[in-house]
Amino acid sequence: MININTIYIVDDDAITTFGIKKLIHKSIRCETVMEFENGEQAMRRIKENLSKGGPIPDLIFLDINMPIMDGWQFLDEFQKITFDKKIVINIITSSIDQADVDTWESYKKKIPHYLNYSIKPIFSIDFKELLAANMAN
Amino acid sequence: MSLPAMTLTTVNNLVKQLPIPTALLDADFKLVHASHSWLEHFDCTKGQYFGKCISQLPQFIESQVLAQLKFCMEGTPQKLLFDTQTSNTQYKNYQFTCTPLYNENENIIGIILQAEDISHYLENEVRFEKLENLLKDQSEMSKVGTWEYHIATQELSWSKMTKKIHDVPENYQPNVDTAIDFYTCGHERNTIAMFFHNGMTKGQSWTTKSKMKTAKGKEKWVISSGKPIIRDNKIIRLVGTFQDITEQEKAEQQIREREQILHTLIDNIPLNIYIKDLNLKKILVNKAECDFLGVPNAQELLGKSDDDFFDKEMATKLRDEDLEVIFSEKPIFSQERILPNKTGKEIPMLVSKIPLKNLGGQIYALLGIGMDISSLKEKENQLRKLINVTSEQNKKLINFAHIVSHNLRSHTANFSMLLEFLMQEKDDTEKEQLVTMLSQAAQNLMETLENLNIVVDINANTDMEQEHLDLSKKIQQSVRVLDAYLKQKRAKIITNIPPGTTIKAAPAYLDNIILNILKNAMIYSHPDRPPVITLNAKKEGGTTVLSIQDNGLGIDLDKYGKKLFGMYKTFHNNKDSRGIGLFIVKTQVEAMGGTIDAQSQVGVGSTFNIRLHD
Repeated sequence: MININTIYIVDDDAITTFGIKKLIHKSIRCETVMEFENGEQAMRRIKENLSKGGPIPDLIFLDINMPIMDGWQFLDEFQKITFDKKIVINIITSSIDQADVDTWESYKKKIPHYLNYSIKPIFSIDFKELLAANMAN
Repeated sequence: MSLPAMTLTTVNNLVKQLPIPTALLDADFKLVHASHSWLEHFDCTKGQYFGKCISQLPQFIESQVLAQLKFCMEGTPQKLLFDTQTSNTQYKNYQFTCTPLYNENENIIGIILQAEDISHYLENEVRFEKLENLLKDQSEMSKVGTWEYHIATQELSWSKMTKKIHDVPENYQPNVDTAIDFYTCGHERNTIAMFFHNGMTKGQSWTTKSKMKTAKGKEKWVISSGKPIIRDNKIIRLVGTFQDITEQEKAEQQIREREQILHTLIDNIPLNIYIKDLNLKKILVNKAECDFLGVPNAQELLGKSDDDFFDKEMATKLRDEDLEVIFSEKPIFSQERILPNKTGKEIPMLVSKIPLKNLGGQIYALLGIGMDISSLKEKENQLRKLINVTSEQNKKLINFAHIVSHNLRSHTANFSMLLEFLMQEKDDTEKEQLVTMLSQAAQNLMETLENLNIVVDINANTDMEQEHLDLSKKIQQSVRVLDAYLKQKRAKIITNIPPGTTIKAAPAYLDNIILNILKNAMIYSHPDRPPVITLNAKKEGGTTVLSIQDNGLGIDLDKYGKKLFGMYKTFHNNKDSRGIGLFIVKTQVEAMGGTIDAQSQVGVGSTFNIRLHD
């Protein structure tokens, strides 16, 4: 069974968060799964952990449309933080707008992490493939 | 009378002194004696000419005189005309009287030749002839005839031209009555009769323009004048002229009619028209220009310049432009200008300025045309407003469509996901939880639909009734509603609204807006201090600005400003969400034609400014 230390779920929709959590626990072993209602909360935690030497997430499930700090703004901020670890960020959105797909493509090029894009509804998550893709990168 | 017998010397002296140029010739036409005056006239003072034939004298040409002298020698006195050029190149005309000179035996022994300088007579004659011709020509050209009336004989005579004007034959014999009858019956005829009478009795002269009908029934305009001739204090005759001015009158009438048309045209055209001379004084203005500058008639504007009607700055601006057109000789067409009218109201105008040139191509005036385009501008503004409203609506619509698809899709995706989980799930406890989640999802969807419905309602009722509301009262009401919540949060409300401040709004919307912002201030209050909310209001150019300031957490607007009034999925059980509240507030404010914005500083607090009509 795959083992992942820390997973962040950043989404303002409780049901989606519930679904992702369910899928995580069904497929893998994970010590810490943290939930955030928007990008700002997640960002604050990451910065805090970095300064205190706390854990940096290995995998982030990221919603786009959120109040205060949305998914794209989160990526802008995340990009500014430098650390050695390569992280998997899986965008999960209900948007079927091509503009969002295009934005994902452009972030994919400039972010030094593995950026995946999934459109809801989510029925399953292939963690093996996600992690493998990150390794290959 | 007998003269003493004269010696030859005496005769010689006598002849010498004769005032009329006189010469005595012998039978062979040789000069025997001559007066000084003769010698002078014919350039014979120098040199010896006595004893020589007259044809050899400097001025004489044989052929001209000899034949006639021969007739004279035969006993017939002759007169002959003779012209010559004297030494100072002056042409002179002479008339010679040749008289045979008889001796005591009645034999012709010579000729007495007397010369008379008739140059000036001839000149006068020529001049007279010329004048006569000239007068005739003039009379023909200007159609001026003459008339004369002898009071004693009661005889009236007309010149050829006068008859021609009356369309009567040359042998027509007029009298006073028939003459007066040619004038149009009534005023015209009475006037001329009176003039004629006054001329005869009081010696008054006259000139008058009248209408007449000729013998052929043609209507003509004539100027007749008359004046008395007085001899020995008695009026003996009346003389005068009679001029046909029908053509001039017609031409003048045409000009007057054209002028009338032009005046009617420029006075009724809805354009301001003026002409300025080179000193920029107005020399012609139309009615529209008078109305624009608030004067009752053109007289008030003529001779005046822009200095008399505009302030110094405007007058200088206009003068500079006028001079530019005059000096450059280049007209300007349909330029947009703002000009103050009589009430000082600024009117947008389309202005043209055209230099006027005389036939010699020199500029002598400036033609100005102004068109009031305020109504056009107003329509343009209305149109622009309409376009703004439409594009704003369109933007909202797109935004709304996006929200709808996004939100609804999000809920459907959740249903889909939960149902899939439910089908896969074997564990009953898990199943139960999924069903709870599903009902939660259903409730969320319902709530979202309700919210969307509120937004649609607001946008559909942009013309809903707005009232002038007392702002302080409205705020008190909202504070009362939230009383328990505020107490629980130990919040302090400071209201600095001047009493009587009004705001134009839909009451229900205003309540919701104030409530929402107050609630927000509670939700995002700073954990270290009790909330203090300050409400201010000020008037700003037809609007009232309500400012609601808190000392809460604040928000980084540079980063999140765009999202502040957005619509997002709500955490149902989480009070800590902006959710749809501010989105509805913004929608309501905009539906009432107002605006809302926020200022904020992280850790210090936020201020919301709501601007509505007062």
